[in-house]
Amino acid sequence: MITIGLPKGRNLGPARAALAAAGLNLDGLDSSRLRQRFPDQNVLGTPVEVLLLKDWDLPLYVEHGIVDCAIVGSDVLEETQPDVFRPLQLKDGRSRLSLIAETPELPKRSGQLRAATRYPTWAARLLAARNLHVEVIHLASSIELGPLLDLTDVAVDIVQTGGTLRAHDLHEVEVLAAVAPTFVVNRASFHAHRRRLSGLLGALEETETGDD
Amino acid sequence: MKISAGLPTGVSAALFDSARRRRRLEARLSALLEERGFAEVLLPILDYFEPYRPLLTGPRLEQLYRFVDRDGQLLVLRGDFTPMLARLLAPHLDELELPLRLYYRGDVVRHQPLRPGRMREYSQVGAELLGGDEAEADEKMLTLFFDLLLAARGGRARRAESGQAPGQQGATKEHTGPYSTEEQHSWTGCMDARMQRDVRHGLPEARGEAPAPGDGEEQTLRVVLGVAGALDEALLAAAGEREASDLALRIASRDRTAARRAGLADVVERGYPTDLSVLGVTAEAVSGLLGLRDRLSSAYRDAGVEVEVDLAEFAAAALDPRIGVGNGPRGYYDGLMFAAYAPGTALALGVGGRYDKVFRSLSGDCSAVGFSLGLDLLLELGLAEARS
Repeated sequence: MITIGLPKGRNLGPARAALAAAGLNLDGLDSSRLRQRFPDQNVLGTPVEVLLLKDWDLPLYVEHGIVDCAIVGSDVLEETQPDVFRPLQLKDGRSRLSLIAETPELPKRSGQLRAATRYPTWAARLLAARNLHVEVIHLASSIELGPLLDLTDVAVDIVQTGGTLRAHDLHEVEVLAAVAPTFVVNRASFHAHRRRLSGLLGALEETETGDD
Repeated sequence: MKISAGLPTGVSAALFDSARRRRRLEARLSALLEERGFAEVLLPILDYFEPYRPLLTGPRLEQLYRFVDRDGQLLVLRGDFTPMLARLLAPHLDELELPLRLYYRGDVVRHQPLRPGRMREYSQVGAELLGGDEAEADEKMLTLFFDLLLAARGGRARRAESGQAPGQQGATKEHTGPYSTEEQHSWTGCMDARMQRDVRHGLPEARGEAPAPGDGEEQTLRVVLGVAGALDEALLAAAGEREASDLALRIASRDRTAARRAGLADVVERGYPTDLSVLGVTAEAVSGLLGLRDRLSSAYRDAGVEVEVDLAEFAAAALDPRIGVGNGPRGYYDGLMFAAYAPGTALALGVGGRYDKVFRSLSGDCSAVGFSLGLDLLLELGLAEARS
């Protein structure tokens, strides 16, 4: 049995599409059920079980070995830094982590800038690498409200289509990093299911991934 | 005054049955080591910090618990047996009769982020072979590594009687019986969550769930072999000095896209390149490793041990100073490296390798190869197998 963790939310669609293109059809997937088996689907002869979990929780489930592998956003991986293998990123569902402000340029401040983000560790790392010494404020959601309500000077958040920025008259000052749904594998599971996972990864690589 | 029974983060106590189980496992492994001519060493729990500066790389050095004692000395708690043993023996190499076979058992402590199955205090049994012909020593120690792993599994899966591997003088006899409920509820810290759930709530059948069908592949103990620095030349050729470190980490993470762009797709897919010449000077060592894999595979296949050459596993163990990944988390290996995995355990059951450079950095000239096994993980593996 190979147990695959799939993310609820924005990455579920690209994840299912990628697996389907690789020959793993999860048509009957019921998003209201936690655990589902697909007796008619297999990875090189091994039955498949799917667990639907929150994106932020998935790395921990993979690291613990509750699921053998999963598709999870690279933003979550960069923030949580789990000890898992990351064999490939999917082409569909990509976005970017950007520095966002009310002006097209970074606001000028005599003191330290403040940034709102849901990725305090990753954002601090990326900003420090650009010699931007910023006080990072962790928000759980609606990150764009940080600069809009003067809690912070800027925001660091995922930009997919730019629709939210336009709606709030915000500007994408700089793209800090690319973000993509990423196939991750538990270390022990990788060795235990090496042949089968290599088959699935090879199929995924041929169909859904590609150069930027 | 109310006294709490709590313990600091990352440590746990073994009480009653779990203590007995651990001692039984230690005794079983020690008996096999003694039978193979290894002598036990007892090492102190405290040491000076200074000798470890040249022996350990950044992350491992940072993980040492260090403090200033009342005499003003900067001391460390034992974080690794191997460099401690090397630093004690290095000044006396001229007086020692080589080859020297030594083993140890005990705890090490490392301050590191808590991860699944990763405590801050570990129980280990390990063995070191100093001196002797290097290739022969590597094979002997790998054979011992395999036999100890099989012995730890209670003799349930022994290696084949035919095709005896070098150094093998007898299989272990002791068989662990079924575990009590108390035992099953002990030492769950290092077990992966799927195993913990089964221990606490019973096997899937008892929970009214269909059992997961086994397919054979995931039931096997897997040992992966590599060579420290094997990919250095290929990494530098593919990515240059500036990007080689990043590429090493990506390949260690089995990033297929990065590997394909670097012309090293084979390394992440099958473990080593089809054309070994891309490895440059390390091609010969890897070729020798493939031969060693074949010999060990044929000797241990029937015992349920799969042996693979997987250079990606050790891609971060770079030796070239231009690749700044700091030789990976166990920075002192400079030749053969190996690690054992079993399904259901979150971490490697044991790791080892050749570390001649440790003695060189201590102004000694002695070849050395060794390994350690994590007793906590082996106990959890025993629990899982007893249930199945």
